[in-house]
Amino acid sequence: MARRTLVLAALLVALAAATIASLALGAVKVPLADTLDILFGSGGSASDRQIIEVLRLPRTVEALIVGAALGVAGAVLQGALGNPLASPDVIGVTGGAGFGAILVIIAFPGSIALLPASALFFGLLAATLVFLFAWTGRNRGGTTKVILAGIAMLSLFTAGTTGLLAAFPERAPSAIFFIAGGLTSSGWRELETVWPYFAVGFLFALALVRPLDRLALGDDVAASLGSKPQAIRLGAGVAAALLAAASAAIAGLLGFLGLVVPHVVRMAGGTSSHTFVIPASAIGGAALLAAGDTLARTLRAPIEMPVGPFMVLLGVPLFLWLLRRAI
Amino acid sequence: MTAPMLEAHGVQVELGGTEILHGADLTLHEGELVAIVGPNGAGKSTLVRAVSGLLKPTAGTVRWSGRDLGSMRGRDLAKVRAFVPQRMPVPTGVTVREAVTIGRSAHLRPLSRLTRADRAGVEEAMDRAGVGRFAERTLTTLSGGELQRVQVAIGLAQEAPVLIADEPTSQLDLGATIGVATLLRELVDHGLTGLVVVHDLALAAAVADRVVVVAEGRTIAAGPPAEVLNAEQLAATWGVDARLSEQDGRTALHVAWLNRA
Amino acid sequence: MRKKSATLLLAALAVLALCLPAGAGAAEAPKRIVALTPFAANTLAKLNKVPVAIGETLGGNERFSPKLRNVRVLPLSHPNGPNLEQLAALDPDLVFSSKTWAKGNQAMEELGIDVVLHDPRSIAGALADTFKIGAIVGRRQYARGLVKSMRVQIAKARKGIAKRPKVMLILGVGRTPFTFLPNSWGGDIVAKAGGDLLTGGVTSNSGFERISDEVVVAENPDVIIAVPHANADDIPSLTDYLQDNPAWSSTNAARNGRIYVSVDNSLLQAGTDIARTIRKVRSAYLKN
Repeated sequence: MARRTLVLAALLVALAAATIASLALGAVKVPLADTLDILFGSGGSASDRQIIEVLRLPRTVEALIVGAALGVAGAVLQGALGNPLASPDVIGVTGGAGFGAILVIIAFPGSIALLPASALFFGLLAATLVFLFAWTGRNRGGTTKVILAGIAMLSLFTAGTTGLLAAFPERAPSAIFFIAGGLTSSGWRELETVWPYFAVGFLFALALVRPLDRLALGDDVAASLGSKPQAIRLGAGVAAALLAAASAAIAGLLGFLGLVVPHVVRMAGGTSSHTFVIPASAIGGAALLAAGDTLARTLRAPIEMPVGPFMVLLGVPLFLWLLRRAI
Repeated sequence: MTAPMLEAHGVQVELGGTEILHGADLTLHEGELVAIVGPNGAGKSTLVRAVSGLLKPTAGTVRWSGRDLGSMRGRDLAKVRAFVPQRMPVPTGVTVREAVTIGRSAHLRPLSRLTRADRAGVEEAMDRAGVGRFAERTLTTLSGGELQRVQVAIGLAQEAPVLIADEPTSQLDLGATIGVATLLRELVDHGLTGLVVVHDLALAAAVADRVVVVAEGRTIAAGPPAEVLNAEQLAATWGVDARLSEQDGRTALHVAWLNRA
Repeated sequence: MRKKSATLLLAALAVLALCLPAGAGAAEAPKRIVALTPFAANTLAKLNKVPVAIGETLGGNERFSPKLRNVRVLPLSHPNGPNLEQLAALDPDLVFSSKTWAKGNQAMEELGIDVVLHDPRSIAGALADTFKIGAIVGRRQYARGLVKSMRVQIAKARKGIAKRPKVMLILGVGRTPFTFLPNSWGGDIVAKAGGDLLTGGVTSNSGFERISDEVVVAENPDVIIAVPHANADDIPSLTDYLQDNPAWSSTNAARNGRIYVSVDNSLLQAGTDIARTIRKVRSAYLKN
């Protein structure tokens, strides 16, 4: 118990540090005092206010929400499918969202405002198709079936995406940054569109904490306790799909978080108990993305680099170090 | 004779397109330990899972204290019976106490916290199953016999009057088997009602109050072990030349292993 | 009589002698030319040396000179550019290509086809390349005159620049636009048209970089021009989208409604109607 509390405390400290760094640092130097004044008071120059209130604050909040969402999505899927390689990519969301976004960027550039909606729609569509295939026929909802259906759907949408890129090669560079994944400083505009999906996804995940612990003891014990194992798996899939699709809609395709963060917190905390893993994955994911995004936009300021490599830079050494100790 | 806790008649179950049970019957009275025996593939596990509500029968009736199984929701069933599978998956980093606490969750409303009564219930379940002394150990460090006891403890934490166990001793060595068998017998002696699927006929005879023989998807005999597991039944159902005998508190199955007839 | 025929013979020999070098020169100039870039194609059209085929990218928006209307079009796609079999079937003497089709260029060289690359990223570079192309195809004198007249027209187009507004020129819309730097084609055009290009102090070999919106806010551009990959009828909705971008709401450009979208390739790719492009940029976007 003490170890878990320690790990949670450490994660919260990391979260606080990353949040402060994300608000205080950027391409333009704004003194910390001014930043605090702008956030909590009413001071600061017009330009600085614009930077903190319209650019940095929403971006920081987005980083925290998306990081938490992807961490939770991965944790919930790994618990439900009982497979350590499970992540939001496995249920087809990432492939679908990528296709939806690139469809808009490349084939309907005039409708760019609909990009988040398109990514969200196709992400959820892909997940729905995966569940449909996995839940019909023999061995309904079996883990292998879900994973294989997810891979098939991923391949399908990836092929669609590649086809689009090949058909409009001139427009391909615009699509690259969505594929690489990353946050943008566009105020609250995108979050306003997708926040309900985050809310429902997080609520679902919260409700799944105890059921997932039961599922960890096997389908039979879960059934003995009055749960329906397949319903839990489906619920987990829905929660993960909502969280991952909403994340892709505003932050592109970020693959590393959902897979690795749950493992890191599991190894650090020494437990698979979902009452620990799910909140810890949320906090850890939020801290990692906020830190990675801050690095991506300050290291070579004013150039903005994609956030993926920085998350990997921060996360992989920790992951490997824990792996050595755990095994 | 008090009303039976469980009454199942003509249960038919289909799995993967094949009918496994063609009409099996089962009755369970309060305070008794019933062992279900039969050859491989007879449908023993299927019968026990069907009456537990883990499988849906295609025909037949199952009533728990008069209530039809189909009308009972998961939480209602959890208060009536606890199902202990043969082998549960062992998650890493989960301690015995945590696992038994999960067993207690049948009593908890979705987002409510554990009460003192719940914690006491967990301790009691662990004590009754004899696993209290390694409550802080993680499941992955337990032996087969210890893990089986923990599974029983998880079932006991549900505080249901009936404990159903599917082949709890089939994968254990002799010492561990005796441990689990003794545990089950003691629990029943102290008021629990038990239903176990058992592979070992001598064990069934020694431990159970009543034995039910299932063969080819049907119940073909039920009654006290000495009556049911006679030489004729053993020959007819298992095709063996064998007989049970009890002496000085030891039960043995004498088998003509080499068929020289 | 013999004197007359001798004179005739000498005259004929003299004419022959004069013709021969010219003939030899004409034999050196390539006859069957393929132009894979619009710049090369349009330059050849201006030089009155129509190629046997021109390249057009799939889904591209290139503008070609009317003189090229009846010229065969080779579709271009990654990574080779033209279909190499089709190209080889044309039996070209020379192919004008660009670095974009690096893989195809190598293949063409291996097939024994001469390949010359031009990727002008500045007006000066375009003028220099115009002359080079002229020299290669045997129109050196003509090219010299052409470049001279182009310089005059460009100077005319740049006359009387009253204001030098701060301009941010971005590639692509939505999410993460790239900024044109001075060493890009569009950047040079806008700079020569009198714009003070917003770069955040960044330099890059590629001529483009993704710069932070914080710097954009701090530098406060007067004009924002976006060059997306889109069609003309997308312009209104794209302009609205950019105008509504909260990130830039405090800039002069946003507040004065001076955000523009340009979908033709004039800022994206080197063209031959440079003076016209500068004039358009000045009147439509910079208003100087």
